[in-house]
This record gives sequence, C-alpha cells and structure tokens, in this order.
Amino acid sequence: MKNLFYIVFTLFGILVVLPLIHTLFGIFFSGDFFPNIQQFNPETFNLLFKSSLIAIATATIATFLGTVLAFLLYKTSLSSVNLLKALLLIPLFISPYILAVAWRDFFYLSFNNTALISSAAGTVLVLINIYSPLSVLIIGSALNNIDTQLEESGLLVTNFPKMVFKIILPLIKPAILSSFALIFIFSISEFSVPAFFGIKVFTTEIFTQFSAFYNHSLAILQSLLLILVCVLLLFTEGRYLAGASFLSMGSKGTKSKIYELGKKRNSVFAFSILYLIISVFIPFVVLFIQSFKYGTEKFIEAFNILLPTFSNSLMLAFWASVFTVLTGFVFAYYSVYKKHSILNKLSNWFLLIIFAIPSIIFGISLIKFYNRPELNFIYSSLAIVVIAYTGKFSFIAFKLIENSMQQIPKSLDEAAQITGIAYSRRIFKILIPLIMPALFAAFILSFIFNLGELAITIMLYPPGMEIMPIKVYTIMANAPQALTSSMTLIVFLISLLIISSFYLIYRKIERKYSPLFKMQ
Amino acid sequence: MQIIQLQNIDFSYSGKAVLEDFNISFEKNSLTCLLGSSACGKTTILRIIAGFEAPQKGSVLIENKKVSAQGKIIIPPHKRNLAYIFQDLALWPHFSVYKNIAFGLQERKAKNIKEKVFEMLDFFNLSEHANKFPHQLSGGQKQLTAIARALVLRPRILLMDEPLNNLDVKLKHKMLEHIIRLKEKFELSILYVSHDHKEAFTLADNVIVLNKGKIEAEGTVADIKNAKNEFVQYFLEY
Amino acid sequence: MKNYLAISLIFALFLFSCSTENKEVVVYTSVDQVFSEPVLKDFEKETGIKVKAVYDTEETKSTGVLNRLIAEKNNPQCDVFWSGDPVRSVVLKNKGITQAYQSPAANDINKVYKDAQHHWTGFSARARVLIYNKSILPDSLVPKSIFDLSKKVYQNKFAIANPLFGTTTFNIAALFNVLGDEKAKQFLTDLKANGLVIATSNGDVKKRVVQGETACGLTDTDDAHEALAEGADIGIVFLDQEGIGSLIMPNTVCLIKNAPNSEKGKKLIDYLLSKQTEAKLAISCAQMPLHKGVQVPENVPSLDNIVPMHIDYDKTAQKLEEIQEYLKNWVEN
Repeated sequence: MKNLFYIVFTLFGILVVLPLIHTLFGIFFSGDFFPNIQQFNPETFNLLFKSSLIAIATATIATFLGTVLAFLLYKTSLSSVNLLKALLLIPLFISPYILAVAWRDFFYLSFNNTALISSAAGTVLVLINIYSPLSVLIIGSALNNIDTQLEESGLLVTNFPKMVFKIILPLIKPAILSSFALIFIFSISEFSVPAFFGIKVFTTEIFTQFSAFYNHSLAILQSLLLILVCVLLLFTEGRYLAGASFLSMGSKGTKSKIYELGKKRNSVFAFSILYLIISVFIPFVVLFIQSFKYGTEKFIEAFNILLPTFSNSLMLAFWASVFTVLTGFVFAYYSVYKKHSILNKLSNWFLLIIFAIPSIIFGISLIKFYNRPELNFIYSSLAIVVIAYTGKFSFIAFKLIENSMQQIPKSLDEAAQITGIAYSRRIFKILIPLIMPALFAAFILSFIFNLGELAITIMLYPPGMEIMPIKVYTIMANAPQALTSSMTLIVFLISLLIISSFYLIYRKIERKYSPLFKMQ
Repeated sequence: MQIIQLQNIDFSYSGKAVLEDFNISFEKNSLTCLLGSSACGKTTILRIIAGFEAPQKGSVLIENKKVSAQGKIIIPPHKRNLAYIFQDLALWPHFSVYKNIAFGLQERKAKNIKEKVFEMLDFFNLSEHANKFPHQLSGGQKQLTAIARALVLRPRILLMDEPLNNLDVKLKHKMLEHIIRLKEKFELSILYVSHDHKEAFTLADNVIVLNKGKIEAEGTVADIKNAKNEFVQYFLEY
Repeated sequence: MKNYLAISLIFALFLFSCSTENKEVVVYTSVDQVFSEPVLKDFEKETGIKVKAVYDTEETKSTGVLNRLIAEKNNPQCDVFWSGDPVRSVVLKNKGITQAYQSPAANDINKVYKDAQHHWTGFSARARVLIYNKSILPDSLVPKSIFDLSKKVYQNKFAIANPLFGTTTFNIAALFNVLGDEKAKQFLTDLKANGLVIATSNGDVKKRVVQGETACGLTDTDDAHEALAEGADIGIVFLDQEGIGSLIMPNTVCLIKNAPNSEKGKKLIDYLLSKQTEAKLAISCAQMPLHKGVQVPENVPSLDNIVPMHIDYDKTAQKLEEIQEYLKNWVEN
C-alpha cells in the first residue's frame, strides 16, 4: 500500500509536474524572459483586475445561490427533492460555449436584443448558470454532515433564522469558502464564454498572444500572473481556516436534520422551480427547439457522426477519472494524515497551479516535454491525454476527498491501528468505506469534466483518433444549427446515461460495503 | 403540581410507531429519571417535550399551556423556557466557552450578559477557560460548559439525555452530586434520561421505567425497587 | 495484492500507448471537418494509405493545430498541413516549419496562388463576400463596394468577424496592401465610427445576418452557401467588381519539414491539389476550383466571372504580422 502511495506521488511528479517546470525554466533561462516581461504594463494589470472582478462576482453570486439552493434541497422537506437535485446539475454537463450560444439565442428570440447578454454582466450570468450546481454539491454535502444536536441546541435559545446565521452558516464556512475559491478559479480561467460575448478579459488576452501573435513565452508569463492570483486566493483561504477549530464536523451516521417548510412550502417550491426554469429549462429548450425544428433527421445524423467517438471518449474519461481520483486520494491522505511535510505542501500547490493554468498552456508544456523520439510511445498515444486530464482535474478530486477525510474522526483509524490491523486493511476497510460518497462524487465530477474537456484535447489528441468534444466542435463550425444542438443534446444524454449507470453500480457497492449508509 | 404533561401521544418515525396513545406527566421541582434500554422511546419523549418533534396525535402541555398538538408545534423550542443537554453535549465548535454560554443571552438581548456568564463560569470553576474552544477542553470541562450553557438562561425545565455517558466513575459521581445541588439552587424540574439504574437511583426523586414505548413502572426509588413487574426486575438485575 | 494493484494501474496507462505503423500519413487541418474528412477518406480508399487527421475549427478559434505545429517543431509528428487560408501556411513558413515541395498536380494553377519557394500551394478558393438580409435591406440599398459601408446608411447595420483571427485578418491585411497604410487605417476608423459590429467569427456574422440582428456583414462564400442551404432569406454580393475586386482565399497545403512520412505526405498533397478534390469541394462547400475545366454545380461562382483583388499572398501575410498590433488596438478601443 505504501508503495502504491509512493508510486502515485512519483508518477505525478514526473509525468505532470516536470513538464510544466521544464517549460517555465525554458522561459526563465532563455532570452525570452526579459523582452516579454517588459511587455507587462498597467493595461495588463487592469485586465487582470477586470477578470478578477468578473470571477469574484460570479463566485459570490453562484456561492450565494448555491448555499440557498443547497439549504432548500438538503435541509428542508421540499417535495421531489431528488428530481430537483438531478435537474439542477444539468448545466454542468453542457459545455460553457454551448450554454453561451443558447443564452444569446434566447435573448435574441425573446427580446430581439443581444447587447444585453453580450456584456460583462452576461458573461457573469452564464458563468453563474454553469457553476452554481458545483456550489450546491459542495455546500450540500457539508450541510448533510452537520451534527443535528448543534442545530437543536441553537433552536433552544433562539429562533430559526438566527440559528441559521449564527450556527449553521459558520459551521459550513469551509465549504462556502471552498465553493467560492473553486468557482473563482474556474471563472477566471474560463475562456470560451467571454470570447463568445466579445468581452476582453485576461484569458482572451493570453489567447490572443497565442493565436494571433504566436508569442508563446508572453502568453505563458501572463498566465503565471493568473496563477498568482489563484495562489494568493487559496493561500488566504488556507490562512483563514488554519486557526479554525471547526473543520471536523458531526460524527457520521447521524441523520441530517430536515426542517418542515409549513406555509412557506409553496413559495419555496416556486423559487426552486423558477431557478430551474432559468438555469436549466431555458438553455435546454433553446437547444431542443433548434435540434428538432426540422424533424428528427438532424438528430439521427448527429448520432451517426458521434457514434464512432463514444468508445474512445468514454474509455478515456473513465481511465482519466480513475487516475484523477487515485491521485486526489493519495494527496488528500498525505495532506490530512501527514500534515507537516514541506514536499507535501508543495505538491498540493502544484495541483492547484495545474488546475488554474489555462489549458492551452498546460497543453503546450506537455507537448514540449513529451514530443521527443524517446517519449514517442506516450506522446503518440492516448496516454498523453490521460496524463493531461489527470493533471488538470486532480485538484478538484483532492479538495473533495480532503474535505471528506477531515470529517472522519482520526480515532476511527487509531482504533483500528491499536487492534493491530494492517495499514492497507485499515485504508480499504475503514477509511475508504467512510469517504465513499466523496470518492464517488470526485469520480463523477472528473468524468464530466474529462468528457467535455476541449482545449487540452485539441492540443494533444493523437492524429486519427475520434474524440467526442473535438468532433462536436470541429463539426459545428459550418454545420447547421440543428446538427450542432443535436450533438450537444446527445453528448448530454450519453453523459447522463453513463453517470446514472455508475450511480447504480455505486449503490450496489455502497450496500455491500457498509451498513452505515443505509441510515442516511 | 405537574409541570409537563403528554396526553394521548402518537408518534411514529419513518413509518415505525415509537409511541402509541402514550400518557405521561412530570412533577414540578423534582428530578425524574426516565429509565430504559436503548430504543425504548426515552429520547423521543425528551425531543417531543423540547419541541424538536411534534407528535402526530395528542398534545403536550408545559405549565398547563399547550405547546404542541396534533402534529403542530405551537410554541417553538426557544420559547418553552427549557434547556436540553445532549448526549454528545453539542457545544458549538466555532464558539469559545464564553460565547457558547453567552450566545443564548445575546440572542435574547439580555442585560449584564458578561456578569451573568461569569457568574456561571465561576460557579462551575470554568473562568480560566473562558476563551478556550470546545476542542481544547477536557471531558469534565466540556460537561460543565454544556450545563452552564443550559442554566444561564434560567430555564424552569432541564432535559438531560444521558449526558454523563462518557465520564469516568469518579467524575460521574461528582457530576451527579452537582446536578442534585443545581436542582435546589435553580429550582429546576429535571428530566433525566438514562439506561443505568444505579445512576437513576442516586439522583431521582421519581423514576419511570420504559419498555418499547410503554410505561412498565413509575414511582419513587423505593417503589421501583420493590416493583413486582417482570421487566423491571429483569432490568434491575443488570 | 498492493503491488499487483500498482503494477496493473501502470500497465493500464501503458495500454494506451501503441506503436505506430508506417503505411500512414498524418495531416493537421484547420478546414472544417465536415468538408475535409470526406476528401481524406477518399484518399484512404483510393491509395490504401491510412490518413490520421487532427482537425481544428476556426469557429471556436482554438487554433490548436497551428500552435501544436509550432510546439512540435523540434520533433514533427505531422506530414501535411492543410489550411483553409494562406495565412497560417505563411506563418509556418516564416517559422521554418515547412519545406518546399513543387507538386506536379499544381502545374496549371495560377502562380499567384502559389508560394514562390513552393512552401505552400493553393487550391479550391473561397471568396470574401457580403451577405445581407433581404427582409431588411431593399435591393436599392445593397452596397456595391466595401467603401460604401462607412456611409451613414449602414450605421449600426454592418458586421465583420474579429479581425485578429481567421480570414477576416487576411481581408484587412489585403486592404492595407491595396490602399496603403494611411488610407486603410482611415477607412477602419470610419467603419468603427459608423458603429460596425465585431462578431466572434464568420459563422457568427452569418448567424446575425440570417436572424436579422444586423442587416449585412462580411463573410466567406462557404458560410454564405451554408446559410442559403439552410433556407435563409439572404443575398450574396461580390463587392468592388468595378473597383479593387473581391478577395479570393484559396485553401493551402504544405509539407512539414522533417515530416516522418514525407513521401506519403507528398502523395496526399498531390491528391489534394487534383481537379478531383476541387470538384468535390465545389460540391460540398461551393469552393471555386483554381484548375481550369473542373465541373462545378450551378450555384458555385466561377473565377472567370469574378474580378479578383490583385494581391501578393506572401506579402499580404507579411503585412498581416505588421498590422496585428494595430488591429488589436482597433478592436479593443
């Protein structure tokens, strides 16, 4: 078991981190550094500021919405909660670009005006649409884990709203901050939405350096600034939470307290439905209308076009997700159980950096490192794409799993240790069953992100290989709208199908693994 | 005089009946022990009294006022003038000892909060730990903090759900004595849930023995000791 | 057990690695997959050489392919680059990524459409055209020259794609070459003052005109053709037929320096430059053949009937690099 840990650490270091360092050193120690760093000017920083503002607005509103919705869905007696939860996640499955297109079409069709949506506010709106579900997931799981007694002892001394603000919200603060930080990073490095709306932000600037000026060095240096912002944010978050005594929340197995809605039931339900209409129904209906405007012919055509990509893409997403969860698990384990190593801290920062760096730059780094005859067996195969995906999304898996591990009382492991149970048995029989829901969530999220990842894939996919998001994007260029929308719908339906089957398998494992979950 | 009355209560939990047509009442200014093995419904009774749950049928009266009836909470928990000490104490991990105790007062906009909190802290010898957080306290200190938090609001009723489970025997005895003194000092009516009859007999003015949602016996300690009931005799053996 | 787990995980990673065969050719293309893939499949069928393609799209401007070619410079994986325009090929040539190859298949193609050093060769061309929404612009108001568009009549009614990317860049660079810097800049300033809309891409221009968000816009013939095929109520105009002429944008193809399969790459280039391929592209996306005597459908205009803009493609591409910084400012401010 320990060997496996070392292997994961070493492989991650060599396969993912080294290429990035290789590229950065390449710039610092070549003649490119000084001439390019001189191109940084007040405008560069203004743009970074603007991007940060957009990301802050998105992260704040999305986290706020996510908190409200998570509360309604996880803590109240709202009807059809499971269906609502599932519907809510839909925007995560649709690529940001397609959502932006759908929103613009909606504004055009219903208001005959696209200026409103083609703005910084519109960018924020679409980003909120995409990332609120992520916030619901993160905050919902934290709400689920609050010890009921803490809420009830609050209810004994004060009324419900005050208890929510003084007890529940402070208890889920780590989750709220995680949600904010993740969404901030996602939004600040998002390229396709602002580009589509014609909003100039830092990522579009980096992209312009890449694609109009072919100045790779400047683009990479600029993206370092972007990363710096993300690192600062997470550093502040870490500092803020470091002294906190409340990371370990309720003991697992207690049932989460559910509040009766009473008279407010209808208005709360109406609110949730309204949110669903705006965030899911509108873009979806636009896609649907466009797909079937001329009958099912285009839909069938789209299916036939995508058919040969399914097996490749699903395999790729599956294996990459397995490696992502494994990496996330190993890093989280070291972060929670062996806190004090510098190497460990450093490697956690690398996870963040690779997540936050624009995909195109990560892609270039991997090409520059792997594209040499002796490494051709990796570069000319899908292995390079698996490495890229694993590198990119391990941070999310790491965060989810780490949060969950922190909530498991260490005594559970220690109790087993004292009984003389071997290291690997303790991990497989105690730790893993307890964090199973987080492992599953991490797997599903990675799977969704891997399946839809375009920017890195287009840089790295082996010639001749058919991959779903690439096909959607390269076909959509000159294809009729009906075909493009149909393809989006198909991608969505496939993801949904796969994820539901994973869920069914998971339920089986869950039952077998531990009676604990039955109580929940 | 009876301070709490549960009348014709039906209560089920995810479809499983816990209490059926259940009646019970508690004397004012006395310490009543609810004794029974686990899952006999004793915690449910406390939760119904506190107002965390509403019985589907029947009504709950506190000082002759209806607080819940027919599936509805009429008076919410924080207006029932009672305190609850939970099995795991439920100290708010993000508040200091001081804040844990002061929080209820602050929410009620009480006057002289600091004074009142320190009076409690002094009484329980906790003053030097005022700024510590719950995870920095020992087991006994946590226990005392939980009790201080409960009593600072001067409740009429104190509900205790096996609060001494995790303490060592010596500390447990000290706590038991403490609780008896508290009852006198604060003129409390205490409802104490336990599965340990020795603990119950040390403390209680009255004892009620429960089994599967039914009362098997009730009375003074002496009454219970002499009860002819088969279940009670079996229960007392262990 | 633990070690087996570790070993099997590594093994799974290596499973993705498979050795490459030699009876194949690798092509990177920025031409939309809908149009390029059928041609490449036909080549496969006819020659038995397996084509491994990397596709890209102008629409999302991922420009992955070009950046990938640049990043792979030291150990090329690609044999042939098929570009939808001359710009990208010139960029690659300037970066020393291409090598000369004079294809016999292109002998009768006008030398205007070929690199003097044979690094790239043009074939099937698109033209830059103006499309307009017939329900908004009456026939009498349809512009005849690109210079009409700075007139008051077209205020807030005209769209072009972001000139930092794609064929629009080339269009503007060509104007700079024809007009001279000063006049061209003045014209762009006038356009901006007249409230022109900058769309994300040519496809986006098409969409806006079709939906009636803007009255007219500049785009490529293939987008215009696509809109007509979808039944849109638009008209197509070749601008400046009595003046500087319409910009003709050929596809270009080049052979990558140190290509791993250069002989097969040359075969593919010959195939792409054939009349046969031009005929196919004429049918699928209304591109105009550069060879004489290629059968085309009725809706495809012939180069014989269009006054082309007289430019040197190589020089225009050089010009483009010069004016990028200016264009960036023009777009952003």
